[in-house]
Formats: sequence, C-alpha cells, structure tokens
Amino acid sequence: MTKRWVHSWLRFILENGRIYLFVLLLVIMGSFVSSEFLTPANLVNLLKAVALLGIVAAGMAFVTYSGHLADLSVPSIIAFSGIMTVASLPLGLVPALVIGTLSGLVVGAMNGLAVGMLGANPILWTLAVSFFMEGFMRFTWSNDQIYPSTDPGTPGSAFVQLYRLDFGPVPLIVVVMLVLFIAAHFLMKHTRLGVETRLVGSSRPAAKASGINVKKVVFLDFLLAAFAASVTGIFLASMNKLGVFYLGDGYAFEGVTAVVLGGVTLEGGEGNMPGVFGGVLVIGLLTNILNYLGMGSFYQKIVTGSVFILVVWLHHCRPHAGGSSDA
Amino acid sequence: MHKGRITELFRGMDRHRALLMFLGAYLFLSLFAPHFFTFYNTTSLLKASSLNGIVAIGFTLIFILGELDLSVGAVVMLCGMLVPGLQPELGWAGGILCALLAGACIGLVNGLLVAKAGISSFIVTLGMMVILEGVMHIYSGGSSMSVASFGLADWLDRPLLPLLPPRVIITFALVGGASLFLQKTPLGRGFFIVGGDPEMAWRAGLNRDRYLILGFVICSVTAALGGALLAASLSSMTGDAVLATRTLMTVLAAVIIGGTPLTGGKGSVVKSYFAVLLLTTVSNGIGCFGLGFEVQMFANGVILAAVVLYEAYVIYRHNLLKGQRPHLLADLEQEQESNSRGSR
Repeated sequence: MTKRWVHSWLRFILENGRIYLFVLLLVIMGSFVSSEFLTPANLVNLLKAVALLGIVAAGMAFVTYSGHLADLSVPSIIAFSGIMTVASLPLGLVPALVIGTLSGLVVGAMNGLAVGMLGANPILWTLAVSFFMEGFMRFTWSNDQIYPSTDPGTPGSAFVQLYRLDFGPVPLIVVVMLVLFIAAHFLMKHTRLGVETRLVGSSRPAAKASGINVKKVVFLDFLLAAFAASVTGIFLASMNKLGVFYLGDGYAFEGVTAVVLGGVTLEGGEGNMPGVFGGVLVIGLLTNILNYLGMGSFYQKIVTGSVFILVVWLHHCRPHAGGSSDA
Repeated sequence: MHKGRITELFRGMDRHRALLMFLGAYLFLSLFAPHFFTFYNTTSLLKASSLNGIVAIGFTLIFILGELDLSVGAVVMLCGMLVPGLQPELGWAGGILCALLAGACIGLVNGLLVAKAGISSFIVTLGMMVILEGVMHIYSGGSSMSVASFGLADWLDRPLLPLLPPRVIITFALVGGASLFLQKTPLGRGFFIVGGDPEMAWRAGLNRDRYLILGFVICSVTAALGGALLAASLSSMTGDAVLATRTLMTVLAAVIIGGTPLTGGKGSVVKSYFAVLLLTTVSNGIGCFGLGFEVQMFANGVILAAVVLYEAYVIYRHNLLKGQRPHLLADLEQEQESNSRGSR
C-alpha cells in the first residue's frame, strides 16, 4: 500500500517536474538573496500575494484545458462581481456575496452560450464581452468608483474584513485558494466533466462522435472560469474597499501566463492542476525575489516577460516533435 | 434560379460588409447626428483613423499568416515615445527613422522566436507586450513626453487637398501600397499560401520561416510607423498604457470585421481599413450625440460581438451543408420530376 503511494507520488513529481524545478530553483535563489526569504511569515505573504491570481488561474485552466485558449473577459467579470457585491451590500453580507457571484456567473453563461452552443471564436467573443461589459459598467456607475460604508456593525465593515481575515497564521484568502485548487484538481481528474473536458480539448470531433454533449461541457467550463473570477472579484473589492470597472485589469493575461507556465497546452487536453499551482507559485516567487532585490516594477515586467517566454520554450520543447505543438 | 441570385447577392454583401457597414453608419449619422456631416468633422474622422489604419495593415498580414501579434499596442507606444524622445538630438527624420528601426528589431525578435524556436505566437507576443511595456515606462519615466517644436505637426495636420491632410494621404498610400503588394506581387501572394496551406507552400518551394519573420517585421514596422506619426502630429506621446490596449483591441476588432479569419490564408488590408473607418465613425458619431467614451466602448463591443456571432453562424451553416452536393440534388429532383411525368 505504501509502496504504491510512493510510486504514484514519484510519477506525479516526474510528470509535473519541470515547473517544480523552476519553483525549487527560485526558492534556492531566494534564500541566497535574503535571509528573510525562507521565513514562514514571508512564505505566507507570498501565498497571499498570489492567492487572487491563483483563484483566477484555477478557473481559467478549464477553458484552456477544453481547447478554448483563454477567457479574456475575466477582468470584466472580476470588476462586475466586485461592483455588484459592493452595490448590494445594504441587503446584508450574504445576499451581497450571492448576488456578486451570480452576476459573474451571468457573464460566464453568456460566454458559454456563445462559445459552447453557437461555436463563436473564444478569444474574439470574450474580447467583445469585455468591451461591452466595461462600457456597461462605466455607463451604469458613470465612470466612478463605489465604496461600501465601513461603519462598525454594517455589512460593509464585515465585507472589508473578508480579505483581512486570518485563520491562525493563515489568511482566509490562502485557504480559499488552496480549497479551490483541490476542488479543481478533483473536478478535472476524477469527475465526468473533467474527463469529458479533456476529450473535448484533445479532439472536438472525436468527443462529439463518442456521444459527449460538447456544448454542455464547454458551457460548464466557461461557467467555472467565471465562478473563479467572481470569487476573485469579491476578494479584490474587499481588499481595495471599493468597486470599480477597472478592478480586474491585467488578470486575463496574468491568468493565461500562470496556466501556460503550469503546462496546460494552448491546444487543450493536456495539463493538470498541480502544474497550474506551480505556475502561480513561479510568478509569486519571481515577484517576491525581485522585490527583495529592490527592482522597480517596470524592470520586473521585463524580467517576467522574458522568463515567461523562456519557461514556455523549455516546457514545450520536445525533441522530435514536428512543428509547433501549441496554439 | 431566383434563390441562387439572392444567395449570390448576399455573398457579395458579406464580402464587402466592412465597406457597406461603414457607408451605412456614415449615412445614418449624417442624417441624424448633429454636427457630424461637416467638412471639419470628416477631416478629423479621417485623421483619427490614421493610427489604427496603419497598424491594421501589418496586423492583417499577421492574420493572413495564421498568427497573432498581441504586442502591436506596446510597439505603437514605445516607438511613438522614441520620436519626441530623440527629436531634440536627431531631428524629426532621425527620430522617426530610429522608431522604425526599433520596430524592425522587435519584429525580428518576435519572428525568430516564432519561426525558429517554434513557440506559439500567442505566447511570444504576449511576453513581448509585457517586456515592451516595462521598457517604455523606464524610457519615459512613466509620464508623457513632448517637444516644443510644432513644425512637422502643423504640416501633418493641415489639409493639402480638401479633406486630406498629409497624415491621411500617407495612410491611404500605405493601405493602397500594401494591398497592391499583397495582391499583385509573387512575394505578397506567397503570404496567402504560407498562411492558408503550409504544406502547399512547402511544395511550392516557399520558405515558411522567412515569410513568418518578414511578416512579424512588417507588422512591427507598421505599428512603429503608426505610433511615430501619431507622436509627430501631436508633438508628444502619452505614457498612459490605455492607448496600447485600446489600439490592440480596436485593430483586432477591425481586422475581424473586415473579414480576415484567425485561421489564416485569407484577408484584405483595404477591408480592414474600412472596418477601422467604421469603428472610428461610430465612436465619432456617438461623440456628436454628446455621449461619452463608455457608450463608444459599448457600441464597439456590440459590433464585434455581432460579427463574431455571424461568423460562427456561417461556419455552422457551412458544416451543415458539408458533404451535400446541390447540383446532384437538383439532378435528382429533375429525375424524379421526369419519372413522375413518365408514369403519368
């Protein structure tokens, strides 16, 4: 029994080894850079810093896994769910959270319907959605930020505390991220939906021919991505204590970066959740180390971009594979 | 027969949809929008479409090759920034030349990474976009840059012919030249073959890698030129990264509306330009109604969404009809008819 367990772990490490090699490399580099690096406090901080991105990536991975590249409407979903949560706080905390999540899911359902049912191009459709959602939000809230009332005792103050809540030494947001990653892993590898998504991603015609309801699978994948994005949106609004249309800017590209770094190929049907988590860790570690080195955020961008291209190159570089294998 | 003619007409309309939509929008707004149909506004509309029109040339070429270049927005900003940055030392010509050279280098790196290293263009240009944003902010210090000399700016924006300032004439010339190059020269036709069917390109003896690299270089150079002209005509360049995303999104939308598919092998620079004109016209018209930027964004999104859905419908129809032989069906019908007549 133990032997089998060890065996499966060894296989797991070998299969996902590449990205964790980078994680290891970065951890070693980090411990050279600063003596504070390997302290529990810093590591928790690091996890907290990547938690929001991690949640987005866990959802986005399903879209990429199903062979639909990326959901570029994620920033608008984040912003919309954040705004809606803040706007409906007077109804109480729980109804506000439910409304926030539901409004994110509405956008996700729109994506799922257009891409899954009607077969629209995912990149272009989600781009169009992010266009008119931003226009809609700017129009409705007249280009402005909205704030929750933070008087003690109101739902607003509880909402603002959401991001700042700790379970002992571990922040709530980190727990949420880890739980979502475990759930996503289970969903991807051990449920019907995950297996069907894999087949849809590998070959859509084959999936269709084998009797899988491709439309439903793709619809649910986009819904999952939207769900993850709306959870992020709620926490992001709680962190910034406001809701505004530009809250989610940049999360789409960062999410794709994490997913692709984690070894989910843009072709679809390949990759796993531990890998995506590794990708998120690499981004977090890199930022953390560069911060310790005192590098400005613009230089960090240059390094991050180069590392991104480099890691994907090494990751997807397979000897004897004819032609480019992704996208 | 009658039905066939309608289908034919419909196809023709679809082929020229960018032009038709532009004319429709222009006509509608001329009738209903206040201050839209004036000399001054038409000139400013043409001027406003010059940046995206020039960037769309290279972007269409990349689409024809079946690739994607997400870094165009960042190239526009970085190379635009070089012009006011270098003008005090090198003059206008030197500054613009340096901007174009920088664009060519960026394109070369993109092209080499895609063609020789075999990384997908989505990844390469996404990474390049992030890198260039960093470089741009370091170069400009995060703020906008401007110079005090307005000579070139005045010349670029003063109409030479009625309606047409040099900036617009340059845009027209570039769009026309690129279109002729793609349609009439063997090199230009090669792009369609390489993008549409790599195997056929290989059989025809075309070097796919060279076409890819050349395509990325041209794309970045046109983006750099667009940025340089914008900076020259304003005598300044904004450091606000919104310009980069807005350029990328508008150009992407325009190329799709112009009927160039992501799959490669098809496309037209002129149609992309008409689509740019359409988007600019709609934005301009909404401005004439006194509505803000948010409504312009909403409208652009709705137009793009409608076109994407329409494309999906066309593919769906195509798949439905795949394998059907209309002429065989017609033969069958005729046969049945003659049979029934014979039995009677």
